[in-house]
Amino acid sequence: MLLDTIVAQATAPGFGAIALVRLTGSAARGIAAELTGDAGITTGAWAERAGHLRTLRRPGSGEVLDQALVTVYRAPASYTGEDMVEISTHGGHSIPGNVVAACIALGARRARPGEFTERAYLNGKLDLTQAEAVADLVAARSEKGRTVALHQLERGLGARVAALREDVVGLAALLVQHIDFPEEDDAPTPLGNIAERAGGVARDMGVILATAPSGELLREGAVTVLAGRPNSGKSSLFNALVGQERAIVTDVAGTTRDAIEAVVEVDGFPFRLVDTAGLRGDADTVERLGIEVARRYLAGADVVLHCREAGRAAGKREEEFLASLGSPVIAVRTKWDLAGPGEAPCDGEVVVSVESGEGLAELRSMLRGLVFQGIVENRDEVPVVTNRRQAGLLRVARAEVEAFAEALSAEIPPEVASAHLKSAESALEEILGAIAPDDVLDRVFRDFCIGK
Amino acid sequence: MQLRYDVIVVGGGHAGTEAAAAAARLGAKTVLVTPDLTRIAQMSCNPAIGGVAKGTVAREVGALGGVMARATDATRIHFRMLNRSKGPAVWGPRAQCDRARYPVAARRILDGLDDLDLFQEMVTGLLVDDGRVQGVVTRGGIVFEGSAVVVTAGTFLRGRIHVGGSTAHGAGRAGEGPSVDLAEALEERGLEVARFKTGTPPRVDGRSVDFSRCERQDGEDSAFRFCSYSREPLPGQLPCWITWCGAELKRIVTANLSRSALYGGEMSGRGPRYCPSIEDKVVRFPNVARHQIFLEPEGLDTTEIYVNGLSTSLPPEVQLAFLRSIPGLEEARMTKPGYAIEYDYFPPYQLRHTLEVRCIPGLYFAGQINGTTGYEEAAGQGLVAGANAALAVLDRDPFVVERDQGYIGVLIDDLVTKGVDEPYRLFTSRAEFRLLLRQDNGPGRLGTLARSIGLLTGEQESALEERLRDESRAMAWFRSEAMQPERVNPTLEQAGSDPIDRPRRAMDILRRPRVTAEALLRAAGAAAPSFDPDVLATVEIDTKYEGYVRRELERAAKLRTQAEFAIPEDTPFTSFATLSIEARQKLEKIRPRSLAQAGRIPGVSPADLQNLVMEIRRRGNRRTVPGKQSEAPADPTDSAPAA
Repeated sequence: MLLDTIVAQATAPGFGAIALVRLTGSAARGIAAELTGDAGITTGAWAERAGHLRTLRRPGSGEVLDQALVTVYRAPASYTGEDMVEISTHGGHSIPGNVVAACIALGARRARPGEFTERAYLNGKLDLTQAEAVADLVAARSEKGRTVALHQLERGLGARVAALREDVVGLAALLVQHIDFPEEDDAPTPLGNIAERAGGVARDMGVILATAPSGELLREGAVTVLAGRPNSGKSSLFNALVGQERAIVTDVAGTTRDAIEAVVEVDGFPFRLVDTAGLRGDADTVERLGIEVARRYLAGADVVLHCREAGRAAGKREEEFLASLGSPVIAVRTKWDLAGPGEAPCDGEVVVSVESGEGLAELRSMLRGLVFQGIVENRDEVPVVTNRRQAGLLRVARAEVEAFAEALSAEIPPEVASAHLKSAESALEEILGAIAPDDVLDRVFRDFCIGK
Repeated sequence: MQLRYDVIVVGGGHAGTEAAAAAARLGAKTVLVTPDLTRIAQMSCNPAIGGVAKGTVAREVGALGGVMARATDATRIHFRMLNRSKGPAVWGPRAQCDRARYPVAARRILDGLDDLDLFQEMVTGLLVDDGRVQGVVTRGGIVFEGSAVVVTAGTFLRGRIHVGGSTAHGAGRAGEGPSVDLAEALEERGLEVARFKTGTPPRVDGRSVDFSRCERQDGEDSAFRFCSYSREPLPGQLPCWITWCGAELKRIVTANLSRSALYGGEMSGRGPRYCPSIEDKVVRFPNVARHQIFLEPEGLDTTEIYVNGLSTSLPPEVQLAFLRSIPGLEEARMTKPGYAIEYDYFPPYQLRHTLEVRCIPGLYFAGQINGTTGYEEAAGQGLVAGANAALAVLDRDPFVVERDQGYIGVLIDDLVTKGVDEPYRLFTSRAEFRLLLRQDNGPGRLGTLARSIGLLTGEQESALEERLRDESRAMAWFRSEAMQPERVNPTLEQAGSDPIDRPRRAMDILRRPRVTAEALLRAAGAAAPSFDPDVLATVEIDTKYEGYVRRELERAAKLRTQAEFAIPEDTPFTSFATLSIEARQKLEKIRPRSLAQAGRIPGVSPADLQNLVMEIRRRGNRRTVPGKQSEAPADPTDSAPAA
């Protein structure tokens, strides 16, 4: 038997009312039968997909492990496409742990992270975009990230890509009419029209591709780097946004010793907030300018929060540095509660007081608008491309369809130009996993969490 | 009487002719047994060879040393290159042939083969001993002994002809009896059998046709030949005529639909969608106002006309009535009514790529018996089956044309991998390497293959070598020749291309749209060499579309790595629990020889393929494809198969 039977606790370990232990593989029902002492599981006497309350006993000793609800799924009508058993035990650490151990004693193997979903993919239950969505769902950093992953799991992206593939196949079919049936009653579609249609398909691909940057952000969280001179209130702002005392905040300049990162949800959208690294004494350019910033994050920053405390004028070189950044910058005037009389914010600057809470809501809304505007505007409308693999392949497909249209315009004969359609089709199939080389599988399953 | 041969070919149609000739060319003592030796390679339907994709197959048969290409050249009475307005990669040569002269030409070619005997008899039984074929027996009790038998029974197996709903009779073709005993003998051996149908149109006396009411279509005045190795003298050409049928014909067909065998429920088999009867056309496309009708001459020695486009199984009086509703045919006299025929075929998943029947070693099937339609498809299979029968008897490696080598390879792989659910015909879209499989370059891709196994006669071999030499000479000329502006600019102007201001290599100019190799040679002047049009086409396409051709070659190479992951013969597919049930059943039925082939089976998913690899590795039984020595790659799924 190549794919053995595997077992794992599907719910997060820790305290909870119930825990779910999941078994999949051809021996799953046999193991469950031994655990419960009820042979009906294997003979098929049990109703599938219905909970049966049973006493679980340790094999050998017969010691009672738990009273549990046991549900049987028969291949291929299960999440993994194999025979599967789900056992809802009481929560905590020891009971589900003991049940897993008992299953292992009866011949199951402890599942690797992501292995249940891998099986679902291998058994054809999920396409690749769906399998990726499961990983995203489990690791989702925000409510919006979860929504997108769920959408993808429902085959939002997969269905759209499948439809695009149909479009490409349709174009190829129009060419076939030209090539294979030259003497028919119905005249074939003019090549100019076919090129035009190809342009439309490429544009459709572009619409989905345009969601790739935000999709990636939804998955990973927008990297938000706090920059500013020492003691400009970065760490206090960080803590205020995170909502708890995470960074060490002191009055002494340079107490932040390393970059600190926290994932925060702002109106349902994920941000990876990065506080200044301890760059004191580091004689690089930025430091000489007197601006601390977590440099290794700066290149990949989606947005920079530049902090300047009330009462201090901006230096010329500080402004030059800000202008040189590739990422959008939000200017934040911190410690506004300490502002002197007559001090006024500059254009576009947000004034914030951590003490009074003033300006924090405005800052949050600016952050969300700046980074996720596209998604806010057309949410639910367009399936979102959430990772580089999908985006890369979709780009290949679009380039090939465009090349096809160009080739027709350049008088490349249709049967020659159709090679581009074949390549586009392959790229789209690869997104769906219709044809999936091993390394793609490795990439997809690398980051899996336990259980699903 | 008992006679002993290496290879026995049953049936003398296009498949049988090529099978017998191929086996004999390979040096096997061969006999072709057929009920009527005057009807060797008979064209039972439209007397035409070629078309898009099919024309390329006819030329492939020629490149492999076969009969069809030469016989077509010798008897063609109307020639056109279809798709000439499109790219040269999909040109489709098509020839109307003289129906009476074609069998004579084919017979003459067979008579030139030393190792081939012909025998007129109907084969009624198969001799099988210990599961292996030992020969055949005829209606008259004659026994032909031999360890390889190629059956090419065409539409004869339990053939039944229908002309109108109530007049069915057993027949193999019009005027010939069916073969019932052989069908039963094969079925008794445990082969699955199924039924297809097809039809022919009526024929009329040309003297009764008013051609002035039709559109004349002349053949191309061209020295084109299907055969790349010999230059048969070409007969003169006759015109074809185009007319249309309209509302009156529709009315007649509709009113008599219940009298059609096809629509009256008399026939059970499926027919080809791309070759519909007039009943089908009227019922399925009621909104099409009129349908084209081609009036095609049957030969130089007859006035008979083949009414292409009116395949039917309506009673003769209805046929005559609807014929007379067609412009030009108002006074037509019918010479033969059209008819529909249904016949047995053996679903071809039961075959290997050599066309050997898997469960009966030594028995080979080719042609319509495998569920195909078309003379060219039959000929291609016949050649492969005959060659493999001979190679097996001579204890040599099998001969398989791969999908990137020829339409014949595409055809056979489709048959054994996907099976058929309607009579199978080739289209260019069935091939994933259309730019490589062209009508012009058969000698390079298949001639060399044929030469390497000794499938060519001495004369064919020298002709092949000359052709390949010409290709390199032509390529070298275009690569090195500097075209002078004053000479080439008029040509460029004609092609709507920008003039050049300094000498440029001919090859670089050839890459421009609408500039042909032939025009450049002409522009170069009297000193330039001259080349066969085929050679020029090969140079032109390989140059103009170099990037695209290279891409296809790369894709083909990728596919080869998957093709080299061999699946052992004894793989127990049904026991692979990691595969979906559907995949297990399909794999067990088709028994693919390589991962690439497994991937082409409908219902086998990528996940199944992954698991199949793991299962086979686990069994540790990896071997290589027969005839190939290369080691299976570490990870065959790394390269995406061609779609």
